[in-house]
Amino acid sequence: MSGGRRWLYAGSLAALLLLLLVPLGVQNAYYLEVLFRIFIFAALGLAWNLVGGYAGQLSLGHVAYFGVGAYAFTLLTLDLGWNPWLGVAGGVGFSLVAALVIGSITFRLRGPYFTLATIATAEILRLLVLNLQDFTRGAIGISTPPLFPGPSADRAFYLAAVLLAAVAYAFNLWADRSRFGYYLMAIREDEDTAMAVGVNPARTKLLALLPSAAITSLAGSLYASSFHYIQADYIFSIDISNQAAIVAMLGGAGTALGPVLGSVILTTASELFKEVFQTAHLLIYGILIILVVLFLPGGVIGFFGRRSRRRAQREPGPFAGSLSGEEGSPRHSSSSST
Amino acid sequence: MVVLQTVLNGLLTGGLYALIGIGMALVFGVMRIVNFAHGALIMVGMYAAYFAFTLLGLSPYLGWILSALLLFALGWLLYRGLIRPVMGQSDFMQILLTTGVWLALVDLAQLLFGADYRQINLGIANAVVRLGPLRVSSGYLLSFFAAAVVIGLVYAFLYRTELGRDVRAVAQNREVAPLMGIDVERVSAVAFALGAACAGAGGALLLPLFYLYPTVGDPLLLRSFVMVVLGGMGSVEGAALGGLVLGVAESLTGYFWTDSYSQVVDFLLFLAILLVRPSGLLGRQRA
Repeated sequence: MSGGRRWLYAGSLAALLLLLLVPLGVQNAYYLEVLFRIFIFAALGLAWNLVGGYAGQLSLGHVAYFGVGAYAFTLLTLDLGWNPWLGVAGGVGFSLVAALVIGSITFRLRGPYFTLATIATAEILRLLVLNLQDFTRGAIGISTPPLFPGPSADRAFYLAAVLLAAVAYAFNLWADRSRFGYYLMAIREDEDTAMAVGVNPARTKLLALLPSAAITSLAGSLYASSFHYIQADYIFSIDISNQAAIVAMLGGAGTALGPVLGSVILTTASELFKEVFQTAHLLIYGILIILVVLFLPGGVIGFFGRRSRRRAQREPGPFAGSLSGEEGSPRHSSSSST
Repeated sequence: MVVLQTVLNGLLTGGLYALIGIGMALVFGVMRIVNFAHGALIMVGMYAAYFAFTLLGLSPYLGWILSALLLFALGWLLYRGLIRPVMGQSDFMQILLTTGVWLALVDLAQLLFGADYRQINLGIANAVVRLGPLRVSSGYLLSFFAAAVVIGLVYAFLYRTELGRDVRAVAQNREVAPLMGIDVERVSAVAFALGAACAGAGGALLLPLFYLYPTVGDPLLLRSFVMVVLGGMGSVEGAALGGLVLGVAESLTGYFWTDSYSQVVDFLLFLAILLVRPSGLLGRQRA
């Protein structure tokens, strides 16, 4: 283990420990709720980052797994009488199946076609949940079961969100430094070349999607329980998919720390904005994402973090170059030639 | 007979979809950009027509001209200010940028006009017209014909003017077009602005038929994707056909199944086309 790595792991663990101690000092329910949201969206951004950041596949359909996690947890617990935590695990199971199905459909497509297909699959799920009223209560929504009964639920939710974000962060560190992660980055930089040197893009992307979907599903279950109520239109809203991508891009996609930073900035900014303008605090999302694309393509990390030589060489950010497939062809060259 | 009526209703809605889809297809054809702000531009066009009606008393059947001009200008500005800087970049960044524009416009509308549902009451749009054994709402009929006129104008522009020929040339081959002395920058700005104008006109013509609220464009954005993919990405004729197909498909799903599943069918159609026939309904497979 190199010195740099040892410091990184030690620092990460120390940060985690500190974050777990926060509830000792912070008792205010509002602050705890904001902190909960920061780490839920950090977990979402980190999960998205595996597919969108490291593998460079712009998914705007990650809400599919969020929604499946929320609904599976709620329905398994309420209607089948499962223990709530078993319901959460059931949600992960359903999300993994969904990821296998959605991934094997959408990863056959490239560039904008992939993005559009991810949106389409998430929308199909939203409409099904909305319309299969016998199972899901449809547009009326459902009250969700509590994961943490008792008076200290706020603190418990916060701690759960921090732990989830930590797990997601560990997966990102792994993607940052492992052979598997290099496969993902090779696919991002040039899919055809990656294939030529022996990387199987379809399988590699699917393998990245599985942990991504599982984490997103867990975030969905936690969010559902903390919110006490879910309804298909907002729990499957494309806004959540967008937010996962924005959080990661803002902090720095394709870096492990980026989505965490992005979530801290975005959630705080959105809370401050909410104080000024009651509604429409999402305006800041739109403006931030435009600013990031135009001026900070590497995110905040890409701008300040010149420590890593590897990243500095990639200036102005990993996504600045043209990654698109050949014009007009939405398919992999592999799938048409084989 | 009921089926025929259903198909007719679908075609009338489909004509409006076609206008919206053409706007998206123009932008994609010329610039290879999937414009995620398209639905928001439709929404802006609807608000423009709404205020033209409530403040100036201008009927949307004339107000679409105002909406189209306004959106043309907005599209031009968006192109110059935001789209042009990302033209050479990955589609990843382009999609994110237009997504940002979408979110910003929708929430700006929310901030300025609130989330209230608005509606205009237009006498001539509330009648029922009999066509032999079939009946149609006059509002849908008027909007359909107005949309057909706008589509005709766009066509005339593309096929009867020098600039229109340049637009088609750039859509055909962005690399070779400049060698023929075509100003690709200007053509791109025109195409983007024209795409926005189609969205604006489409929004204005939807006003007599739909409620208006800030996120009204979101489902229409998703439908535009479906149309453009149905028609073969970037084909204007294809997108128009895609609009009609979509209108009829939704209408028939509503009749044979239930209305609430019509959009599920849209998206299934969309995925099927992407996977099975990526060049669209009209397109030829490229070598």
